[in-house]
Amino acid sequence: MERFLLKNIESPGSADIDEYLRVGGYASLKKAFGMEPADIIAEVKAAGLRGRGGAGFPTGMKWDFASRDPKFPKYLICNADEGEPGTFKDRPILEKNPHLLIEGMVISAYALKSERGYIYLRGEYPYAKAVLEKAIAEAYGKGFLGPDITGSGFGFDLSVHQGAGAYICGEETALIDSIEGRRGQPRIKPPFPVNVGAWGMPTVVNNVETLANIPLIVSMGAEKYSAIGNPECPGPKLFSVSCCVERPGVYELPMGITLREIIYEHAGGIRGGRELKAVIPGGISTPVLTPEGLDCPMDFVNLPKRGSMLGSGAVMVFDDTVCLVKVCWRAMRFFEHESCGKCTPCREGTGWMRNILERIENGFGRDGDIELLQDIALSITGKTFCPLGDGAAGVVLGFIRNFSEEFRYHIANKECMVNEGA
Amino acid sequence: MDIVDEIRALSGKYPDRRGALLPALYVVQKEAGWLSQEALDTVSRALNLPQATVKGVATFYSMYKHRPMGRHLIQLCTNVACMIMGAERLVDLLKEKYGLEPGGTTGDGRFSLVVMECIGACDRAPAMLVDTDFHAGLTADNIFRILEEYE
Amino acid sequence: MIKVTIDGREIELEHPVTVLEAAKQAGIAIPTLCYFEGLTPFGGCRLCLVEVEKLPKLQTSCTLMTADGMVVRTETDQIRAARRSMLEFLLINHPLDCPYCDKAGECELQDLVARYGPEAGRFAEGKRRHPESFDDPIIVRNMERCVLCTRCVRMCNDLQGSYSISVTGRGSHSFVEPFSGGRYDCEYCGNCLTVCPVGAIMSRLHRHSYRPWFVEKETETVCGFCGVGCSMVLQMRENSIIRAIPRRGIGFNEGLLCVRGRFGYEYVEGGEELTTPLMKVDGELRQVSWEDAVSFVVKRLREIRDEFGGGAVGAIASGRCTNEDNYMLQKLVRFILGSNNIDSAARNYYAPAELYLERIFGQGITANLISGIANSDGVFVAGGDPTAINPILGLQVRSVWRSGGRVIVLGVPGGLKRFIPYELTPVPYSEEIVLSAIVGRLLEDKPLRGENAALEAKLRSLRIPSDDELGATGVSSEDIVRVAGDLSSMTTPVVVIGPDVVQRKRASKSLFLLGAIAYLTNARIFLLAERPNYQGLLDMGCLPELLPGGRPVELEMFRHKTEEALGMKAPEEKGLNLFEMIEAAAAGRLKALYVMGENPLFNIPDSAKVEKALENLDLLVVQDVHLTETARIADVVLPATAWPEKEGTFTNLERRLQRVRKARRGKMASYGRDDWKILADIAERLGMTKTYHRVEDVWEEIMHVSALHTGLGYEEIAGGSALWPYYGEPLRGMEGDFPVEGLDELPEVTVPEKPYLMIDRPLYHSGTFSRRSKALLGIHPGPSLVISPLLAERHGLSDGDKARISNGRGVLELKVKLDGDIPDNQVFLANTFEGFGAMGLIGFGTDSVLGSIYIDDNTVRVEKVLR
Repeated sequence: MERFLLKNIESPGSADIDEYLRVGGYASLKKAFGMEPADIIAEVKAAGLRGRGGAGFPTGMKWDFASRDPKFPKYLICNADEGEPGTFKDRPILEKNPHLLIEGMVISAYALKSERGYIYLRGEYPYAKAVLEKAIAEAYGKGFLGPDITGSGFGFDLSVHQGAGAYICGEETALIDSIEGRRGQPRIKPPFPVNVGAWGMPTVVNNVETLANIPLIVSMGAEKYSAIGNPECPGPKLFSVSCCVERPGVYELPMGITLREIIYEHAGGIRGGRELKAVIPGGISTPVLTPEGLDCPMDFVNLPKRGSMLGSGAVMVFDDTVCLVKVCWRAMRFFEHESCGKCTPCREGTGWMRNILERIENGFGRDGDIELLQDIALSITGKTFCPLGDGAAGVVLGFIRNFSEEFRYHIANKECMVNEGA
Repeated sequence: MDIVDEIRALSGKYPDRRGALLPALYVVQKEAGWLSQEALDTVSRALNLPQATVKGVATFYSMYKHRPMGRHLIQLCTNVACMIMGAERLVDLLKEKYGLEPGGTTGDGRFSLVVMECIGACDRAPAMLVDTDFHAGLTADNIFRILEEYE
Repeated sequence: MIKVTIDGREIELEHPVTVLEAAKQAGIAIPTLCYFEGLTPFGGCRLCLVEVEKLPKLQTSCTLMTADGMVVRTETDQIRAARRSMLEFLLINHPLDCPYCDKAGECELQDLVARYGPEAGRFAEGKRRHPESFDDPIIVRNMERCVLCTRCVRMCNDLQGSYSISVTGRGSHSFVEPFSGGRYDCEYCGNCLTVCPVGAIMSRLHRHSYRPWFVEKETETVCGFCGVGCSMVLQMRENSIIRAIPRRGIGFNEGLLCVRGRFGYEYVEGGEELTTPLMKVDGELRQVSWEDAVSFVVKRLREIRDEFGGGAVGAIASGRCTNEDNYMLQKLVRFILGSNNIDSAARNYYAPAELYLERIFGQGITANLISGIANSDGVFVAGGDPTAINPILGLQVRSVWRSGGRVIVLGVPGGLKRFIPYELTPVPYSEEIVLSAIVGRLLEDKPLRGENAALEAKLRSLRIPSDDELGATGVSSEDIVRVAGDLSSMTTPVVVIGPDVVQRKRASKSLFLLGAIAYLTNARIFLLAERPNYQGLLDMGCLPELLPGGRPVELEMFRHKTEEALGMKAPEEKGLNLFEMIEAAAAGRLKALYVMGENPLFNIPDSAKVEKALENLDLLVVQDVHLTETARIADVVLPATAWPEKEGTFTNLERRLQRVRKARRGKMASYGRDDWKILADIAERLGMTKTYHRVEDVWEEIMHVSALHTGLGYEEIAGGSALWPYYGEPLRGMEGDFPVEGLDELPEVTVPEKPYLMIDRPLYHSGTFSRRSKALLGIHPGPSLVISPLLAERHGLSDGDKARISNGRGVLELKVKLDGDIPDNQVFLANTFEGFGAMGLIGFGTDSVLGSIYIDDNTVRVEKVLR
């Protein structure tokens, strides 16, 4: 498939504005300025673009809500807090194609009549920060940011806001709290950010990849764009493929491609020709699948039917040398560490589950531990303030549902079923 | 520029000065590598925010440090992908070679080690940040070659 | 109209409220933990989960708004199981040390577990440990018990506005902490203690000394510290106060208290209370019987009156005694001894300020509801920090800011620092110029309405400072434009006036200017009141010129009314005020002074002068709870009951009558007696025919004598709405003209070489009572001189060093405390600690218009004391 989002990133100067302009950059912006803001929103709606951050919310609808709110100023925030373990798909855009993101944001801001934007960049990406800040300075220099952009009469200011190591800030209301200089904890919804967001004003928060799709939709038009991939949730999609494959990396592929194609045709298959044991399709928060799920199309519609989710499209592949109890434990350690502490079940439940998993992993598992884990997970499910707790519970339930034998073996034999590093 | 002025200049990017709190904390952390009570107080005064509020925010985010750190901070990812690709072995090696444990600092104050959550380099795992430099594809061999560059 | 169905009950709602509130209206109690009425919803504990038809997941009823047609169930098997799970989660890291925990018995977590379970724990891992913190003198913090409901943090930030605590850390390693991690160094309102549902934040005052069910008696009363008059409940056991707590639903303070109200009660149990009367024998105070003491006082008063006339006798009433006490003192002096020489420490500020404003605007001009301040869109504060002098009123000012209003403070903003958009701090004693400039600018925007001819005539002849003249104040003309612009834009403003306004030269002009600002902007005026019953002093006639009910003594018609009601005669001419009495005593014209519940030797400037005057008296009687500085030089000392031992009424600064109730009995037979009783006894022996059996008898007489109090019996007062008979209009019309000193002049601004000594009014202390409270001393243990870092640097002083301050009136050596918020050329000292009162070093003059005193010569030399 032709690459749109990662176009030209192998070119050494791909992050420079001159190189970006050379390959046709900022042409979409010029086209957009010839359109009415409402028409751009309509186009994005018609394109069927769904948010690439994980929830898959229709982007055009989000924009529509925000633009209908009479309050000004409105804020546009790019969510570059890519923290979901297994996910690194936004990184090539941020580091190698920053002007695509900036162009996408200026077009979006124009459509939303927003004059101020922020890129909320995770603290763990200091290199991307340097690249983005340079790109922003270049864009200001060439008049693609600032007052009266390219004589259009429209002005937009953009800066990078660096996060500081909190996974929860990927949740949009926590992200807004973090930009406002608060502890990044999710807010009560409603009201939604599109009406009451940053500093109480209508705010659109979109993922990096989502915004990077905007120039594409504007340049090729909704009709042509929606022909890419699955008609129900079309467009190109970035997949991060990691762990036990021959060629881990970011792959731009059409939405709806199967896991099998991603792993075996693009990522070179399982490393060392070993056996596939399990695969997490959308980042650590999405329930694990067995090899039986390999033919499931990777999109927002089909994965839920198989008990998992597309999430951020982070495919984590585990071969037969990997102890899944250990993976589950490590995942839970992550959730415990990242739980913001606001709501009871997530704050207390993730630590409790991590404790039990740690015991099992270390050979101190007890009869009844599996049932207790399931019970704790079910006590969390559906009762947390935000999806983080649900995700944590879903991970445990997914591993136990699909690999209970491995857990039972661990408890009974006080050791791994697999010989790590074999 | 005086540090207080630097912080106040940051607040111009936000409609409310409190927005500059996270960047301001980075500014003061850069000075000593960690956030002392005095550093937090500086931010509090520069942005006219209550001290307790500043502390509450600073302690929420794991990249702000609240104990003195070594000259160089190693932040090594041990999340699932890095773990599978050998990060635990690297943690053991750091202990063997430098006597450096997660959360600790070498006796000579050269390195501090923090094991961190996903660094977003799962395709080149295991990976780490040394100060703000990113290093990936770490092995038992190359990690020390890399670290030896940091005095 | 919104119709919702909760547990099968149909509920109709006028406005959308949360499901939790709707259920409450229908009498359905949904269990909660992080919810607390008055705080912003949080939605964290997940205990109030309910089922809502058509919504797949359980919903938190504290955050979910009702919508028409919504069908809600609050107790089903699914919900009970969820609540049990939430409680199990909360308990896994909870120490379960209930037998040892002071909260047991009134712990919300305990009660919820008793109702929903779990019955047994399944958590077999190690609990999180976090040592209990005893770093603070008042508050003990146990973060193992904390359930992270954040009620304390929301209370501290959103209602108190102290911002002293925060949740630190993240996830299950979140803890509530003050900035230091140890000591709180906060406003110590203790409102976090009220909201903590578990034993995580507890008071140290009675740690492990009682259980909640040990409370034998609860007495609802009104705080005895300041003029706000917060309602509180005293919890008693064995005649001892266990706790002073606020309670939502009683009083207008809505469940909030300040540090003095909550922790300051201990002064009555310090063991230093007077237990028997004392008489001076051979120059020394000796214990005597009540009979000996009282008959001596009666004999000497009679002799002095007979020999020198009633005018040789004077009395000082007390802003911390009840209306009944003060009324009786006034009756004794005026109607039995025949002297109008009665006044109080309210003369320092409150009385002249109020009387003067009433001359301009009419009686009752300052009668405004404290709870209404929060509804205004702007506040102008001058002359003192409301958050320290009247803390609960101060919270109302803060809430104006929170709801988007503007707060403007003339002078050091103190506790309002975070709540103002800009500072307005002129150099000392130039406030008059700044106020004139503000009024001048306002006059450009606001037309004169012709409602107050006298005031408007004076405004026309007011001298407006030029930009040059303004320059000397340190405030620019741009600042003035900004302030006046802000004032002009307010639609429902409030002007808050504090003591410093009056204690300046030409106080009448400053009051006039503040009155003019209020007049031009149509603002309500509030006078801060340091004592719980300053207003009562005025209403009870404890003034040389006014009879009970505020009737001028020199107007025959009014005097006759009072005399008729009582069947007794009062002198026709007004008496001496507080300062005139001191002068008269020094000159030998005043022979006897009866001091009730006041400490003039400490509370009036230039102590040495006051002491000399009092020493010159033939008879000094002091009636008080403790052996104060003044009591020590008295001829007779009579022990009185303290505030929690009294029955009666206080009148707060909004002129609300409130009942003070007796919670505690005297410890011994010889222990202090009620002030009014002692006075009635003396009056009877001097010929008063009426006998009072109970305090109600005194009140009934007051209702009869004072037109202001007609029909306001104890029952009405207990109802909580006994405001003065004030219906938003002045009681009497304006009285025509009034004098203003120096209307066409401006003071010369000089910056002295030596800094000014200013009176600090700290939140934690308010005088001779607070310094006997162990808790308040724990927070603020002794005198300190508050100075700016710049001044400290010039004198080589650092925090904690000892400094000497001196002038012609005296020398003090005390510890310095650095404070970056105070101006360079001023040093602050509270008038609290014995031997270290600021008043001692301050010189004063008498204001020709108000009869009040102004601070005249108060510069001090500051030196470092070398060890």
